[in-house]
Amino acid sequence: MNGLKSLLLVTLCSALALGASASSSLTGQEAPDFALKSASGKNLRLSEYRGDVVMINFWATWCGPCRQEMPLLDDLYTRYERVGFKLLGVNIDDDARRAMQMVEELGVSFPVLFDESKDVSRLYQVEAMPVTVLVDRTGTVRHVHHGYKPGYEQKYLTEIRSLLRE
Amino acid sequence: MKVFVRAILLCAALSVAGAQAADEPAANDEFRSIDEDVQALKEEVLELNRDLFLLEEELLFPANSQVAFFLSVDVGEYFALDSVTLKIDGKEVANYLYTEREADALRRGGVQRLHMENLKTGDHELVAVFTGFGPHEREYRRGATVNLSKGLGAKYVELAITDRAPKQQPEFDVREWE
Repeated sequence: MNGLKSLLLVTLCSALALGASASSSLTGQEAPDFALKSASGKNLRLSEYRGDVVMINFWATWCGPCRQEMPLLDDLYTRYERVGFKLLGVNIDDDARRAMQMVEELGVSFPVLFDESKDVSRLYQVEAMPVTVLVDRTGTVRHVHHGYKPGYEQKYLTEIRSLLRE
Repeated sequence: MKVFVRAILLCAALSVAGAQAADEPAANDEFRSIDEDVQALKEEVLELNRDLFLLEEELLFPANSQVAFFLSVDVGEYFALDSVTLKIDGKEVANYLYTEREADALRRGGVQRLHMENLKTGDHELVAVFTGFGPHEREYRRGATVNLSKGLGAKYVELAITDRAPKQQPEFDVREWE
């Protein structure tokens, strides 16, 4: 029985270790480029924001924490947009209409993109919801956050401010 | 006695000559068949050498199997480009979404290298699907199919979007560069 327990523990630990390495493997790398259709009908490409600090927030309508987080991210966006901060909300729902409804409901102003084929989510190894990626002015991934808990927005604020200063 | 010895020698000489005469055609045949075999082998070696040379040329020069696809927009008054999907032999190889800046750069004369592909020699079917907005902001989706014949050497294919002024419609053309 003890043997079984220790085996389970080892499996769990290795799974956690794998999870941690997967979440951080993008950090320090060049942010994979992508182009997606946005809610406004325009196509947006990440590489065109080189020179700005970009936050990419992956979200879905079925994700409760995303609903909590998005208005707070919108506050950050409206506050720092004029000094070179961009926020791209990448929705991963199969149906873009539901996402549009939620955007209207929440009244967020940042550009929302649709990743119906999930290609971009795969590029960014999105395994949790939400996932928030911060890309610096040179196009390098600097921070990756999996999930959302109240208080994370403070962390985002500090990171954004520090990246804007660079 | 002398006559007897001469007769024996003559007989011996004749018999040896006779035996030699009988062996000669057999040896000649053997030589001929070996010679033919050598010739056949030489021919096979030459054939193999030629095949290997051609194979080597096909394998060692991958640039030769390359096909590059370019996209250009001429004028673009009747068509605002949104995306292009490229399929080769039924398989989607490229799907590109154009941002406003990219579409503008193309309208100003830029040419985009949309895709590079290694294709075997032979015939291939190319399908390009263009989406965008046509006259009066109408959504527009048009496909262009062309059969490509890939020989040796690199190939360049241009997908060109031009305006057809009399009909006030865009025109989609697939051209092969010589």
